[in-house]
Amino acid sequence: MNTNDKYFIIGGICICMVIAILSPFIASSNPDGLEKSSEQLGGTESGVYTAPFADYTISALGDSPLAGIAALALGVIVALLIAYVVGMIIKRRKPPEKST
Amino acid sequence: MHIPDGFIPLWQCAIYYVILIVALYFSLNWARRNLDEKAIPLMAVLAAGIFAIMSMNMPIPFGTSGHMVGGALVAIVFCAPEAAVIVFTIVLLVQGLFFGDGGITALGANVLNMGIIGGFVGLYTFKALRKPIGKYPAIAVAAWLAIFLAAEAVAVEMWLAGTFPLGAGLFFMGLYHAFIGIIEAALTVVVILVLERVRPDLLAWNKNKNLGEQKPESSEVSAK
Repeated sequence: MNTNDKYFIIGGICICMVIAILSPFIASSNPDGLEKSSEQLGGTESGVYTAPFADYTISALGDSPLAGIAALALGVIVALLIAYVVGMIIKRRKPPEKST
Repeated sequence: MHIPDGFIPLWQCAIYYVILIVALYFSLNWARRNLDEKAIPLMAVLAAGIFAIMSMNMPIPFGTSGHMVGGALVAIVFCAPEAAVIVFTIVLLVQGLFFGDGGITALGANVLNMGIIGGFVGLYTFKALRKPIGKYPAIAVAAWLAIFLAAEAVAVEMWLAGTFPLGAGLFFMGLYHAFIGIIEAALTVVVILVLERVRPDLLAWNKNKNLGEQKPESSEVSAK
């Protein structure tokens, strides 16, 4: 990875962190399009599985905006790392394969 | 527009999982032939950014909210809907497993809507309109149409699952996401404009253009 790519990743993380920090303040708590449609038309959510940080808050941090920011920041880093690792695994093989 | 667990009967979830597995098979093949190591930071940053924008609900009229998706963005940046399938599988898995957004049983359906439909509609709308109306207007229309049709696909799946009636589902999902689509279109154009400014080498359409002089050994690969 060259320096340019490092700056690119750092820049990308910075933008995501700005979104994460702003999110608890500007995000709407209204139900989203699908939830709203389901309220109007019927349909129930069933709890097959309970996620540790449901609704993008870390409940251990209480009800402050910090809980939401921390959850989003964590998610951003996890998504970035997984995508990077998966990318390294599935990337093009070198030298380019003869088309088999 | 993440479908939660319980909205779709399990046997239908199984069908969507089969679609997901087939799509992943083709996407991994694409990656093995075309995913350059240089593009991996871009893929990782897009995954992180898409996680962030999909987690943040923007307020829209009618007392509802919606989030941007970015399926068209990934597909256009990589010039490959396969890239969108890979990125959305990763992001939706993280969102479902850690944050309870989108069901685990509904993962196949969610990737189908946002990654597969979003990616294909986004890329091919862009390709079709690029010449007649210009690059950036084409990106805007492609992004709007991708999220709109993804939302309508959700409505059709909800009808097949017996959760919503078809007409009303199409109407409400379409109405809400027609508004979100405007934000989505603006965001997609801005992100691609910024990429074109700071790292034009990462955009797939630029790569194909100057492939001849830069990387002669890989020309046969991208020509397929």
